[in-house]
Amino acid sequence: MLPLWRDEVVVYLAPHRVALTRLKRGLRSRIIASRQCDVANGSVGNPAASFACLTDLLTDSQWQNASARVILADSWVRYGLVPAPAVTLDADGRLSHARYVLADIFGDSLAEWTVTLTDVPPGKPYLACATPEPLRAELEGVLSSAQLRLTSLQPQLVVSFNAWRRQLPTDECWFVSIDEGSLAAVQVVDGIWNRVHTARLSAQWTVELQRLRAFGRFTEASSGGSRLFVDAPLNMRTQGREALPELDWLEPDARLSRVPEFDLLQRVAV
Amino acid sequence: MKRPNLIRLDFVAPVHESRATGLVLIVLGVVAVLGLAAAFNAELSERDRLEAKLDAVPRVKRSAPITDPKLTAELGSIQHELNIPWTPVLNELESANHDLADSVSVLSVVPDAEKHTVRVVAEVRQLPDALKYLERLQKSDLLRYPMLESHERRKDDPEHPIRIKLSADWRS
Repeated sequence: MLPLWRDEVVVYLAPHRVALTRLKRGLRSRIIASRQCDVANGSVGNPAASFACLTDLLTDSQWQNASARVILADSWVRYGLVPAPAVTLDADGRLSHARYVLADIFGDSLAEWTVTLTDVPPGKPYLACATPEPLRAELEGVLSSAQLRLTSLQPQLVVSFNAWRRQLPTDECWFVSIDEGSLAAVQVVDGIWNRVHTARLSAQWTVELQRLRAFGRFTEASSGGSRLFVDAPLNMRTQGREALPELDWLEPDARLSRVPEFDLLQRVAV
Repeated sequence: MKRPNLIRLDFVAPVHESRATGLVLIVLGVVAVLGLAAAFNAELSERDRLEAKLDAVPRVKRSAPITDPKLTAELGSIQHELNIPWTPVLNELESANHDLADSVSVLSVVPDAEKHTVRVVAEVRQLPDALKYLERLQKSDLLRYPMLESHERRKDDPEHPIRIKLSADWRS
């Protein structure tokens, strides 16, 4: 089968949940199978439980022999905005600069992490993103044992933002992607990422959103209060709307449901 | 103010290359190459067709007929002059002299285009040399009827050579 027409399996991997979707490729991709499982005893510090769950799911032959696109939960990702360097840097130089900035934010614990950067024109700030190298290696091992070839690995915030970006205002806003136990937020000013912020969520997770909103008021560029858009699973959305009705809780429509990875992120229930 | 751009960030796939854009460019490139090849092929076919058409046309020299009698006569004279086989005649005379160990000194060669004849004035030491030269010329394919018209011993010359006059026709 031609590589372009090879079936694709999209995987969402999070500490508390693993979800799979298989896409039949062709002129128009279509979902032919979906599955998810809650990870028992899953936690940020224990990705082995999530991998065990993924391995178990992949034993079913319907998930094997395809390309694999993985969306990684924000719990296992660190973000940093790297200011544009004063001099022109090559790819290695940009990466070293990004590692320096990430180390400044998160400390030396990220030294062994894999770092990747957004592709932006010279002279513009760029987004740096890091994930543990062992986690990626483990993921590739699990996928290859099911004849799945890893073709893409993206963090949840980036996938979610790309899915919702057309519904965000053009001036200034906060976009927040939350899942059980984690929150990732980005302040967007004139279409450009201005700040990025991640946090762990407790059982009282709406408090973190209130803090973020207060933080946003202090940091916003314009005098008016910028809006805060939240992408959340269905049950958290319902709960959050009751607690914080002043926020914009993003509701998926038919157009977004056609995006397979977004369909995964809508994560029926936690 | 503008809509947020798509964030291109991936730990595995190269983010600086858009697969869709790349595919479109490849397709456009292939189509362009095929289009150029087809256009080039069409041009080649057209050139071949035109060349074949050109070859089929009879090549006729178109020039205005000359009506002036004076000019016609002059043209005929020039035509006769041009028809004189100068190079073969001179080669033949030289070759004949060479065969006789250069015993003949050719003094002048005067062609007559009207009569297709050539007159040769030469000098030899002895008369037998002149006769051998004449025999040699009689064997030539280019000349016919070579004749010894006159011979005269030059008494004014200290070596007393014999001056001979020959004439011959040339074959056209």
